[in-house]
Amino acid sequence: MEQDETSEGERARGRAAADPSEWVDLHGDHLYRYALLRLRDAALAEDVVQETLLAALQSRRDFEGRSAERTWLTGILKHKLVDHFRRASRQVCASPDEGEEFGHDELFRREGEWRGHFAPDRAPVEWLATPAELLEQGEFWETFRRCLSPLPARLASAFTLREMEGMASEEICEVLGINVNNLWVMLHRARMHLRRCLELNWFAGVGARR
Amino acid sequence: MTERGLEDRAAHALRYFFLRRLPTCRQTVELISQSLERPLTLRERVATRIHLWVCIWCVRYLEQLQLMRDTLGARSKQVSDDASPDGDSLSAQARERMKRALGQHSR
Repeated sequence: MEQDETSEGERARGRAAADPSEWVDLHGDHLYRYALLRLRDAALAEDVVQETLLAALQSRRDFEGRSAERTWLTGILKHKLVDHFRRASRQVCASPDEGEEFGHDELFRREGEWRGHFAPDRAPVEWLATPAELLEQGEFWETFRRCLSPLPARLASAFTLREMEGMASEEICEVLGINVNNLWVMLHRARMHLRRCLELNWFAGVGARR
Repeated sequence: MTERGLEDRAAHALRYFFLRRLPTCRQTVELISQSLERPLTLRERVATRIHLWVCIWCVRYLEQLQLMRDTLGARSKQVSDDASPDGDSLSAQARERMKRALGQHSR
């Protein structure tokens, strides 16, 4: 069963549809997973995929089979996702305090000569995992999605574009309408929060050392 | 003054020397995050290096940011290659809705 699905997927990857409505069955799940990894909302991911397919329909004549159909559709999806991030970022004015609470000040000592240093009972613990192990664990990605979900939209977008798209700083600043200092602060807060959240909800449970 | 008291005072003085001149953990983790975005200045690099030399917590912080970056990069590739063991799929309703929309617009 599992094997059949894989080979079905293998075939779909290289195939081109005779009729655009076949795109849904051939490439729909692929585009959906791609979008869902970068957005935080299943309904939104579905909308972006539908928008992508309709845009593809419009520009079908320009597609001359220079690349695989799936690669072409994924390219359109990437543009749609960036458009989404751009729009979402314009809905709220940027402020230096945005997501300040995600900087997790409570991890640091508040007073005494060690003020500003990690409080020993909240300091980073050792994580016992490699990227390859984490990739195999579906539940880890559930946890990851839950940790990302409370972040303000712009912080989450900045983090996603940087760490998942590997986009350059200048480009992210242009998309989100922020300057590079804002971006660094946002990335710092997003990383502080995700690291802490994953530590509490994942790594603490699977064998971490203090 | 006993020998012990002298040692204590020396340790105390050394600790203060570092405390006054080194960035705190709070400042160091911010620099660690920025080091993933831009080359640090010489001054920042030296301060961070010395801090990491005496602080296992910030070493872990650095390793963990690196692990998150490597894992997310690999995850992104895994999903692009359709190699994920946990595949989400479009719901049947979404599938139908998209087919209808494509049918309407292609006419």
